[in-house]
Amino acid sequence: MEYYFGILQNIGFHTLLGLSAYLLLLTGQLSMAQVGFFAIGAYASGILTVIYGINIFLALGVGALIASFFAFLVGFPALRIKGLMLVIATIAFSEIVRLYFFNLRWLVEKNGVEVGPDGAQGFREIRYFAANGWEPYHIVSFIWIVVILVLFALWWLDRVKAGSVLRAVGEDELAAQSSGINLTVVKVSAMTGGGFIAGIAGGLYAHSTTYVDHNSFTILLATFAVAYPILGGLKNVFGTLFAVIFIQGILIEGLRFLGDYRNLLFGLLIILVMNFYPKGLINIPLFNWSKLVKRRDI
Amino acid sequence: MSVGFIDILQSLIDGILFGSIYALIGLGFTLIFGAMEKLNMAYAASSIGGAYVGLGLATLFSLPLFLVFLIGPVAAGLISILVYLVSFRLIPSTNHLGSLMASIGALFFIDEVIIHETQGSPLTFPELGIFAEAYFMFGDLGFRGDLIFIMIFGLISMGVIIYLLYYTRLGLATRAVSQQNVAARLCGIPIHTINISTFVLAGILGGFAGCMAAASVGVISPLLTIPITIKGLIAAVIGGLGSIRGAIIAGLMIGGVENFFLLVRGVNERDIYVFLLLFVFLVLRPNGLFGNEINRD
Amino acid sequence: MISKIKSLKLAALAFATVIAGGAVADTIKIAGWGAKSGPLRSFGVNSEAIIKAAIDRVNENGGVKLADGSMAKMSYDYYDSACNAEQGIAIARKVASETNALIGIGPTCSGVAAASFGVFQKKVGDSSDTGLQMPLLTDTAVRNGLAKISQWTFRNTPNEPDMYDKLFAWIAKTNPEIKTIYGGTETNQGHSAGTYSKVIVQAAVRHGFEWVNGPIDEVSGKIGSGFKNVLSSSSNWLMEDTNFSVQARAFKKSGADLFIVSSHPFTTCGFLKELSRMKGMPKMMVGLTSSSSAEVMKGCPKQAEGMIIPTSFAPITAAAKEVAALAAANGGSADLHSAAAWENVMIIKDVIEAVGITGDPSKVKEERAKMRDGLEALETTEGLIGKVTRVQDEGEALKPFVFVHAKNGNWEVLHDPRK
Repeated sequence: MEYYFGILQNIGFHTLLGLSAYLLLLTGQLSMAQVGFFAIGAYASGILTVIYGINIFLALGVGALIASFFAFLVGFPALRIKGLMLVIATIAFSEIVRLYFFNLRWLVEKNGVEVGPDGAQGFREIRYFAANGWEPYHIVSFIWIVVILVLFALWWLDRVKAGSVLRAVGEDELAAQSSGINLTVVKVSAMTGGGFIAGIAGGLYAHSTTYVDHNSFTILLATFAVAYPILGGLKNVFGTLFAVIFIQGILIEGLRFLGDYRNLLFGLLIILVMNFYPKGLINIPLFNWSKLVKRRDI
Repeated sequence: MSVGFIDILQSLIDGILFGSIYALIGLGFTLIFGAMEKLNMAYAASSIGGAYVGLGLATLFSLPLFLVFLIGPVAAGLISILVYLVSFRLIPSTNHLGSLMASIGALFFIDEVIIHETQGSPLTFPELGIFAEAYFMFGDLGFRGDLIFIMIFGLISMGVIIYLLYYTRLGLATRAVSQQNVAARLCGIPIHTINISTFVLAGILGGFAGCMAAASVGVISPLLTIPITIKGLIAAVIGGLGSIRGAIIAGLMIGGVENFFLLVRGVNERDIYVFLLLFVFLVLRPNGLFGNEINRD
Repeated sequence: MISKIKSLKLAALAFATVIAGGAVADTIKIAGWGAKSGPLRSFGVNSEAIIKAAIDRVNENGGVKLADGSMAKMSYDYYDSACNAEQGIAIARKVASETNALIGIGPTCSGVAAASFGVFQKKVGDSSDTGLQMPLLTDTAVRNGLAKISQWTFRNTPNEPDMYDKLFAWIAKTNPEIKTIYGGTETNQGHSAGTYSKVIVQAAVRHGFEWVNGPIDEVSGKIGSGFKNVLSSSSNWLMEDTNFSVQARAFKKSGADLFIVSSHPFTTCGFLKELSRMKGMPKMMVGLTSSSSAEVMKGCPKQAEGMIIPTSFAPITAAAKEVAALAAANGGSADLHSAAAWENVMIIKDVIEAVGITGDPSKVKEERAKMRDGLEALETTEGLIGKVTRVQDEGEALKPFVFVHAKNGNWEVLHDPRK
């Protein structure tokens, strides 16, 4: 059972990571910076629970706030950069974050052992869950409560005006701007929100793996983060969830029987999906209310 | 150890010479972007893939080793055609995300095929014969023969590509496709053929760059792909996406900057400065060194 | 309807029990995992090849003796953890909770080991700690001091502090003309950089070698002392680097008698090629344990000529030669990392026979605990090149080793410190 709990945990924080990229993709921003925010969340909340002995809930919140603060800062220069240039700029951001943690050494003595981030040797013993007697199903439920809350929040966002504003910016910036939408506010808040979600995801990741090092936060993970919503489709949040289950659950864990050929399949599969479903696997809006309810405000 | 003026100069020379490899890869990115306004993320991987195929075939049939430098580029050209077909040909040209993602898929696939075939172990790569032996000293400054060769090769390719683009019918067609896709099609220009020829050209160039990179280290490993993908992309962006001179100059510059900071700040911080340089350009000069003012999206 | 499903389930369960029940007497399962994809794939390939060879050998000789005196065959499953912490943890959980494997062998990457050891129970019998309870005997992940993370994790990996200590003692005695040292490492590779700064340089200093530009602050020769300063005084690179001009120049300029090159094969070769191009070869070179592999001899035999490395595996005994041949026959190669997998299988067989295992799947939890106790109690084990002493409270091993040097495209034994 623990194994399935473990996979569910993986799916949980990958979904959060994917959703943080999804939020930005709605505004037309392809951001590879999510892994940077994820790393900030992971290290920040890890430092809080390990070095300062702070409660996990508070640590996750503060970690996510710190990550969203950095996202807020990234949001402004990102306004000037669009499309493929943004991809490269955000790759650079994530790499700088990774290199920062690669250089970060912050060791504190606790009960006779040195704990804390130790540069390339990584940040060990982030054992809040196990040390506080959390059973695996506690951890899974906790992660999934967060995932469901975020899923619901984003789903709800799409149902209200704010969602249309986000999508309007994503569809056509110029048109959105000329209909009175403030691009700066929209794009920067999307970036900040995405940073917050990625920050929580990072915190959950650090605590459920108990160890992070700079190698956990490479371009590869940044690619995964944007691949989930793109593969799943941007029509609704469930596309991302579906893509994560598909990749983490089926491709990585489910295909173990393929042995050596498993990893060849991964690249191939992205290529196939993009060729046959260029708009993503789930490309139908769920619960299309507009067709059921006559809209008045047209 | 104290860092003297000579050391700085030497590190810049070494770095700029090594930057030729980034320049060549950046050139390929920029060429494809210029033609299609798309990034082919699998470009550096197909370049290294070509070098592997060259090495593999030469070893398998016990061919003379210099043939690696011929087979490699041809193979990289062929791999590029495949990448075009699977990542660009069928995906609607307005869907930038789709082809970007598909080319990332191709990057993973090529990398994993290499790893699968070689167990991920580094392999010896033939060096550039007399060029590799040559080491020129001017006073206290040393110059590596093979890197000078690569740099000259890069400059010649830049010349050839500028000639092709601006003085041949193929180039005219390529530019037409890049500037006005629909109008070009209406004029009877076969855009897929043009795109494929751009991919082949870029692929051959990349194959050379891949072989040169491997030859300059003397070892080839799948570890090579990610760093040269990133540095090549940065070169293309700093040079101005679509600008051929820009990619070459920016590539050399990145090599120099990287090596300079390696000398004065150490390896752990080296790349931070390269990325900061990129940020400075993106914020202050988003179109790069030579990018035109058309707002590309 | 419901009752039908229920009865089907019951039938399936009964069937499964019969199958599993049948397995009691004839198979003992173990699990192995390591990187089989990604750039470090060769570790997993080598490790699996040797586990397979070792298990085949055990089975050819009749298998392993169980508590009731009957003989059972051994079998293994090998999982790909891709040198990725999440996957390593997922596999550890999978093996512990979904299979009847008595014990695991792996992982290969130190980063994965550092991460996944953390999900094991820290102290045996601590019921407030919900970590995994399954013994693990690592063959490859060699980074210093990992096994003590959990009392369930054991390693049979080379003890680098001891190896480099003896190596520098020997160099000091036999080559009195070597006085000064200089070196570098790949800083983003935890094992290379950690061993370099905390172990190798310290051992050299301890035995009277002088850092070429005067002593490094706080470096006393004690393991780990002033290791940050070691790194900042050295000339380093990253594990995927290709341009070594600045570093090779610094090495050459240092003019030290002995260079320490602490990196894995890819950059070891790249760096040595640049160094030899600059004609900066020193009187003597010492390398990282992991570089004493076939890869360096494939990549740069000429440039590595003369490099000295301590290693816990060399084909010097009949057993070691045989394992090297068997590894090759199974598509891998035996080096100081993978050869440990052979010893591990043999250790596991001995422990099974010593503690009395029934192989009954319903008792797997208790039997894992028994295996753990058995491993912890071991004082010595038989290694391929000699007796291995266990460091019992840390779960580590003190393996015998020899010094090899690169000669004519091969690693040849230079000195056997036991003689």
